[in-house]
Amino acid sequence: MLDLYLNAVINGILLGGVLALLAFGMNLIFGVVKIIHMAYGQCVMLGLYFIYTLVTHLGFPILLACIATLPLMGVVGFGLQVLVINPLLRAKANPLTQLLALAGLTIVLENLAQVIWGADLRGINVQLPIISIGNVFLRTSNLIAFFGALLTLWGLYLFLNRTYMGLAIRSIAQDLDSARLMGINPQAIYYLTMAAGGLLTALIAGFFSPIYAVHPHFGGSFTMMAFIIVVLGGMGNLLGGFIGAFIIGIVTSVSAAMTSTEIADIVALVIFIAVILVRPQGLLGIRVAK
Amino acid sequence: MRTPLILIILLAAIGVFPIFFPSPYLIHIGTLIFIWSFITTAWSYMGRFGLVSLGHGAFLGLGAYTSGLLFNFYGLSPWIGMLLGGVVAVLFAMLIGYACFRFGVIGDYFALVTLALGEVVALTIIAFRDITGGSLGFTLKSKGTSLLYFQAEEKIHFYYISVAFLIIALLVWKWIDRSKMQKALRAIGEDEIAASTLGVGIIRYKMIITSISAFMTAIGAVLYAQYITYLNPHTLSGVPPSLEIAFKAILGGMFSLWGPAVGTALIVSLEEYFRVAYGSTFVGFSQIIYGLALVLLIIFLPKGIYGTLQELFKKKRA
Repeated sequence: MLDLYLNAVINGILLGGVLALLAFGMNLIFGVVKIIHMAYGQCVMLGLYFIYTLVTHLGFPILLACIATLPLMGVVGFGLQVLVINPLLRAKANPLTQLLALAGLTIVLENLAQVIWGADLRGINVQLPIISIGNVFLRTSNLIAFFGALLTLWGLYLFLNRTYMGLAIRSIAQDLDSARLMGINPQAIYYLTMAAGGLLTALIAGFFSPIYAVHPHFGGSFTMMAFIIVVLGGMGNLLGGFIGAFIIGIVTSVSAAMTSTEIADIVALVIFIAVILVRPQGLLGIRVAK
Repeated sequence: MRTPLILIILLAAIGVFPIFFPSPYLIHIGTLIFIWSFITTAWSYMGRFGLVSLGHGAFLGLGAYTSGLLFNFYGLSPWIGMLLGGVVAVLFAMLIGYACFRFGVIGDYFALVTLALGEVVALTIIAFRDITGGSLGFTLKSKGTSLLYFQAEEKIHFYYISVAFLIIALLVWKWIDRSKMQKALRAIGEDEIAASTLGVGIIRYKMIITSISAFMTAIGAVLYAQYITYLNPHTLSGVPPSLEIAFKAILGGMFSLWGPAVGTALIVSLEEYFRVAYGSTFVGFSQIIYGLALVLLIIFLPKGIYGTLQELFKKKRA
């Protein structure tokens, strides 16, 4: 019994690493472009399909397929900025309208996937070994995803804090008008952020590809999960998102072990609702006066 | 003088339609349009005042499952079940509504809380699979054609019943429009803080309108369940049905009386057309077009199709 919980906690931590990466992308986009990217999980789904197609139909080695998917998803992110987000910003749409438009986008992406790849589960077949330490069982694919995600987050941290471009992104997120006065072109940064967000979805898809098989409705639950974490940590707060990811990862993993996956999802959603009601600024957020 | 005339003609056309086109398929589509128009109109009671809910699937699920389970297990007439389902939905709406309105959750945050709630109800239905049948859903026991048990073997009965329900929903809209509540809610929707300084009871009015909307939505769900005689958590709760309700209403125009019905009629018939025309070749193709149209309309016509047309005509007349 104790082993079961130990396993659940450790797997929760491993899941948390990937969720942290997912939440980071959504958080970055929210912080900079000020848009809740409701189709983020759906972008991960597209990335998984790209990898699947490259591997099974074009005969790419898995690693090469993952690398080739990076620019593809970057282009998708860029395209979303041009086709959806720019018109929204130009129409001066309120946050609610933006939310609805992106929710509408999920319908387009999910059905596009269904038309192209069909409704069946598609996965690349890789069997990675399972490592057992005492009574704890770890899947190598989860370990790769966990450490890969941490490494990526570290790289992103350095990028945001040590480069001129990172400084520009952070300043846009902090104060759009002042940033503009300092000679930063917000439009260029928006494109960059959305492309980077797309790149991240490809990376996440790469980490997911040995773990999950993809289907057209794969993304919805991950969008929800990322969003729960972002809200828990405070919208736009990158450190909060990082901590939130591990909390949600462990909580869902343990409650799934105790009851069922549905109950685990309910627990996560209830946390989300409670946070919005009682502490909308998130765990680490600072309440901003309107 | 002109509006009543148009209404009478419209009503007569709907009334005689099954006589001239006795095709069960067309009657089925008509019934679906009326039932979903009823639900989207009920959704717009709130939506038009800035309370955009993306979780009306919660009320659908609560209403339909309360009535359906009571009928299957205890043989309770769905007419009573319908009211009980409505009451359950209202209790749920009041609980959540109070929490949201008390803490000042509005706009996109309100939309997200409700989105989560719709999913919570769906997951709860799936989790209690011993009673509810889980993801597989369950079928209502057949009683043949029975008024007491609100079942009919002929589609035509439900066609007329759902028209009657839709008329009630539209009348409730009219009633809300004339009430004092409408003015208060409009003030709240435009500027909450300003309204509260003028002494408008924000929480109270929002609670009332949310309860009405929840009650009607639950009733609509029972109507749908009785017609289809099959309940499934993926069609009666959760994110996709919740979004669809909102989208149909927004597409038609949630600010006008006929907007939600027009949006529903348009989407249901479009979906059917694409399904029939391209059904076997491109599954999901119709949904892509629908999604694209939706995104474009949300960006460029925030007042919806009917709402925009209405404005155009007003401008022409002026």
